[in-house]
Amino acid sequence: MSGEKLHFRFSRSEMSLREKLWQISWSYVALISLVCCIGFFTLYSAANGSIDPWADRQMMRFAVGMLVMLGVALVDIRAWMRWSYGLYAMALVLLVAVQLHGSVGMGAQRWIDLGFIQIQPSEIMKIAMVLALARYFHGASYQDVGRPLFLLPPLAMVFLPVGLVLKQPDLGTAMMLTLASGAMFFLVGVRLWKFALLLTMGGAVIPVAWRFMREYQRQRILTFLNPESDPLGAGYHILQSKIALGSGGLFGKGFMLGTQSHLNFLPEKQTDFIFTMLAEEWGMVGGVVLLALYTLILVYGYALSLRSRNQFGRLVGLGLTTTFFLYVFINIAMVMGLVPVVGVPLPLISYGGTAMLTLLFGFGLILSVHIHRDVIIGRRGASEDI
Amino acid sequence: MIRRFLKPRVVQDSGAALGADTPDNGHVRLEDDHTRALEVGRARLIVTSAMFSLAFAVIAGRMVDVSLFKHVAPRPQARHQTELTFERADIVDRNGVLLATSLPTQSLYARPHEIRDPADAARRVAQVLPELNPTELKAKLASDRSFIYLRRNLTPEQVYDINALGIPGLYFEQGEKRIYPQGDVTAHVVGLTDLDDKGIAGAEKSFENELRNRHDPLQLSIDVRVQTILHTELEQTIADFHAIGGTALVMDVRTGELMGMVSLPDFNPNNLSTATPVAMFNRATLGVYEMGSTFKLFNTAAALDYGTATINTLYDVSHPLKIARFTIHDYEPEHHPISVADILRVSSNIGSARMAIDMGVDRQKAFLGRFGMMKPTTVELPELGWPLYPKDWREVNLMTIAFGHGMAVTPLHVVTGVSALVNGGTFHPATILKRNPGDPIPGEQVIKPETSELMRQLMRLVVTDGTGGKADVPGYLVGGKTGTAEKNGAGGYHHKQLLSSFIAAFPITDPRYVVLVMVDQPQGNKESFGFATGGWTAAPCAGRIISRMAPLLDIEPRGSMEPLKVLKARAAREAKANGTLNGEETLNGVE
Repeated sequence: MSGEKLHFRFSRSEMSLREKLWQISWSYVALISLVCCIGFFTLYSAANGSIDPWADRQMMRFAVGMLVMLGVALVDIRAWMRWSYGLYAMALVLLVAVQLHGSVGMGAQRWIDLGFIQIQPSEIMKIAMVLALARYFHGASYQDVGRPLFLLPPLAMVFLPVGLVLKQPDLGTAMMLTLASGAMFFLVGVRLWKFALLLTMGGAVIPVAWRFMREYQRQRILTFLNPESDPLGAGYHILQSKIALGSGGLFGKGFMLGTQSHLNFLPEKQTDFIFTMLAEEWGMVGGVVLLALYTLILVYGYALSLRSRNQFGRLVGLGLTTTFFLYVFINIAMVMGLVPVVGVPLPLISYGGTAMLTLLFGFGLILSVHIHRDVIIGRRGASEDI
Repeated sequence: MIRRFLKPRVVQDSGAALGADTPDNGHVRLEDDHTRALEVGRARLIVTSAMFSLAFAVIAGRMVDVSLFKHVAPRPQARHQTELTFERADIVDRNGVLLATSLPTQSLYARPHEIRDPADAARRVAQVLPELNPTELKAKLASDRSFIYLRRNLTPEQVYDINALGIPGLYFEQGEKRIYPQGDVTAHVVGLTDLDDKGIAGAEKSFENELRNRHDPLQLSIDVRVQTILHTELEQTIADFHAIGGTALVMDVRTGELMGMVSLPDFNPNNLSTATPVAMFNRATLGVYEMGSTFKLFNTAAALDYGTATINTLYDVSHPLKIARFTIHDYEPEHHPISVADILRVSSNIGSARMAIDMGVDRQKAFLGRFGMMKPTTVELPELGWPLYPKDWREVNLMTIAFGHGMAVTPLHVVTGVSALVNGGTFHPATILKRNPGDPIPGEQVIKPETSELMRQLMRLVVTDGTGGKADVPGYLVGGKTGTAEKNGAGGYHHKQLLSSFIAAFPITDPRYVVLVMVDQPQGNKESFGFATGGWTAAPCAGRIISRMAPLLDIEPRGSMEPLKVLKARAAREAKANGTLNGEETLNGVE
């Protein structure tokens, strides 16, 4: 970042590819790669010291994801702004499509099979919604944001996909979409009383929502409130997770020596509960180091976003970083029994292709925001600049 | 760190605070509006960052908490268990099968003077316990007594429901209820307890103190499997011949242990009301009967043992024997002198009486005394019958006792005595307690081993060529003796009221068990061609019992093949095993 002043120009819109590559925050990329590498090692350990079946595939996805990330980073931020509504519409259509005929994975209809790749529309929606909201709020003034009617379209933009995701049913993603968009609403300055109003309404809706929840969702919430009530059934995940965390102690049991995870007491150790496994083997110190790395990525993300001179870029960067934060927070809080088990992976580490691609795509957007930080975008959109 | 990043940039961007317009959009704005947007934007960023930091601090704290402080939720532990102790120890069979155990129960009682509204209380209690009569209940609750039982042994659910009524003056008494899992099958051996959990019959009564003092189960010699066989077969026989009752026993001849003992009719020890005096009467140990012809075994053994006769000694049985006012007949008179062996085989009363005359009163008395026939058995049961025998043992008694009349003993006396006859001559007192390997087995040599050997052969003869043919079981070499006694009632002996029995020992070459089946007043049926004698009623029953119990008790069948065939088969097997082709020669050699 030291060379920023030297490279300052009035307009960066006409940067060459070489210049753009130079502008990429490579330290940010390195940080992301570092966390991914931790993930590979953990997956290697999860397979009892075998690169197959998880670590190798994850590495491949990482390689593909890296290329996608760089590609996304080099695309002009105005192009992303132009395509944002389109992307959102596409994600929405896919969400509906998955309702109509999606293959059922782990009891939930979340996947759509395009033949060469299986995609999870709800993951696309995590990015598309941030883009769409950023685009909507890009030109909004403080007074605009104060008008309730102005807020209705974005609210619909949020609740439509959230409803569809809930119907899949995927409580974790719905939670993330809601919280990420809530954070964006908050950042653009929606009045606090409106949040209060929404929260109150939400509170009133809970009893109704409870009735519409699937049995397993209710069970998860009840179990979250008292995991010891069902130590062999629904509370099993959390209890085993806590036992594994406790068994790690301060410095852990050592790489590939975690008993709880290797003896299969810990469920889903390669996906949702991978943090537990990591913490068992590397101890509290390992867990805190990973948390610090995540924090660094977050701080970087906010820093990069805030340097953008256009509202769209700032909002996209903040929204995506917030989404990333939610991934980390929900997952870790979940394995430690602070929030219900909702099935959110640990970003960059958990085994899973879609999440990895989504995250790297998102980081690519943040990089793009950073590269094109000095692009000035007019109130109505991309056409006004230059 | 976050703040350092945020603050300068926000200011530098001159109005590019979040939520505010970009500065270069050319619109005229109010200055304070712009400033306000700036402030709001900055404030919200800080709030958001702070919340994120807080969230991370929370999970980091939780991380430390979970991994360092080992307060992982305590495993759900079984509630503090106090060792269940009961007033009475369990009773089990020789293989450990539960015969009697205790369950904790609660009994409902009332202190009537504490009950305010007896009518209402009675109505509500009757709703929970519908088997109680509300009118009686009301009378009980309104009575002057300070303590009255309403119902015993409630289920936990009923206790809960009664408690839920919240009626003052109702209380529960902790107690226990005796449970007999085998029900009527072991009724007479195990016995039962009364409402106060006190033994009133069987082992429950005879071991009353022991059961209250010991903690480990009391192990009986009974084998529930044998017991069940006896029960079903005897029940069937009684039904087939419309008898009024019966008894069946199995004794291990080497130890005196009773493997099974059934007396019918019996009762269900779990239901006190079925334990009527008639049902509780144990024919095996309490009932004394003139056993009839089975007693001839003792008469023959005595003659052989004393040497007053040999197995080939001939006796004249062609004329009925007159003594005092009695005349002794045979059912199927022979018209020539017959040997001692034949006397037993055809069950001749006349011959037996003549053998007894040669022996004399004193020897007969002494002999029966050695076999424990002059006093009650020493089995560990409260229901013990005193044998009946003539005070003044005269010649007529000598003669009638020779064929089992004029003296009454319990079926257990016969079983114990016959065990000694066949086991080599050692009298082991009967017991219902299991003798463990190594335990000393009380025993007394009462006849010579040679006599015992002769008795075994004679008993086998009765089955192969005499009256006991229906008791034979292929492969198990049953030996035995039938018995048919006329019951002595008011006005003398009744020809139509018989006591039919069969005593068997098997395998007769080296006896392991003695089986006695006795049927009280059987009526002949079509299959028995109207006969109700021991050979037609009790003998088939004994045969069925042996055929069922012998495989269970690991007794190998033998004698089912001709010796020659066995040898041939073995030779062929060996030839095959050796791979030689000269099997034919070997076979020929054997033949």
